Amino acid sequence: MKWTGEDVALYERERDYIDTALLPLLPVAFGQGAKRLASGGELVGLIAAEVERQLKGRLFLMPSFVYFADEPRALLTERLADWTNRLRREGMKHLFYVTCDRAWQEGEEADRVWFIPVVPLESMGESYKHELVREQTAELLRFLIGRWAQE
Amino acid sequence: MSDNKHRVTRRQFLNYTLTGVGGFMAAGMLMPMLRFAFDPILKDEAGTEMVAVADVKEITTEPKRFDFKVKVKDAWYESEEPKSAWVYKTDKGEIIALSPICKHLGCTVDWNTDKEHPNQFFCPCHYGRYEKDGTNVPGTPPQAPLDRYEYKVKDGKLYLGKAKPRKEA
Repeated sequence: MKWTGEDVALYERERDYIDTALLPLLPVAFGQGAKRLASGGELVGLIAAEVERQLKGRLFLMPSFVYFADEPRALLTERLADWTNRLRREGMKHLFYVTCDRAWQEGEEADRVWFIPVVPLESMGESYKHELVREQTAELLRFLIGRWAQE
Repeated sequence: MSDNKHRVTRRQFLNYTLTGVGGFMAAGMLMPMLRFAFDPILKDEAGTEMVAVADVKEITTEPKRFDFKVKVKDAWYESEEPKSAWVYKTDKGEIIALSPICKHLGCTVDWNTDKEHPNQFFCPCHYGRYEKDGTNVPGTPPQAPLDRYEYKVKDGKLYLGKAKPRKEA
């Protein structure tokens, strides 16, 4: 499911089946490091979209959790915890995050964070980029399906 | 006098230019008419919506996944939508191209990934299953067989069109 009118209508009809939320954590910055973060965000977006396409009937791809890279970490953690609680209250039994920001690998929910390393997408050939997205998608899919079996 | 031979008179000059301009105008009017008249012949015969997906040689009796892209227009945003197909040949040599979209809630099904039920299509989301020919296994969530792509073979290539729901099996 995506955050579109059509999908949300389907979600409301079939919400018993859709018990997993995937939330991209998207840092932004201007000036130094902007290009790197943008590249990272782009790749996360591509992979998240592909995962959504393959697991459409059980996974809800949320609009990104966007923040400035230099926001105080404590506030961010608090805000994310609030989002997490809301999603859980909505019946999302499984909640996963996908990000290019390494800092999230240290928090409480670290085992629910899927980290995707930044790659300079803009200087890559189309076919190589394709291959990269396909591989990374497959890994994330395995992770999600594995966790479904465990939880 | 020899100079005069090549000199163009005013009358001649006007004649030439008017014929020329008139000719262009007439052509401008006639061309669209001719195009309308012959339009069906001029159209690209390669079937506008069929997309080349694979070489026929690559197709075996074991379902294999092929990815391709289809142009879609959503509001004013034009993009290429990624699609996949599970393609195999039956023992009789007939090609079957199945849509991987699960009929339950739209996940992508995989071939032969569920160890307890080999040689079936398996949906990882809610454990829906389909036989090799796409028929849904009763007792699993899906209520209909997998869609089949319209296909044609031309010059050794497999072209796929729209995925169509199959009549009740």
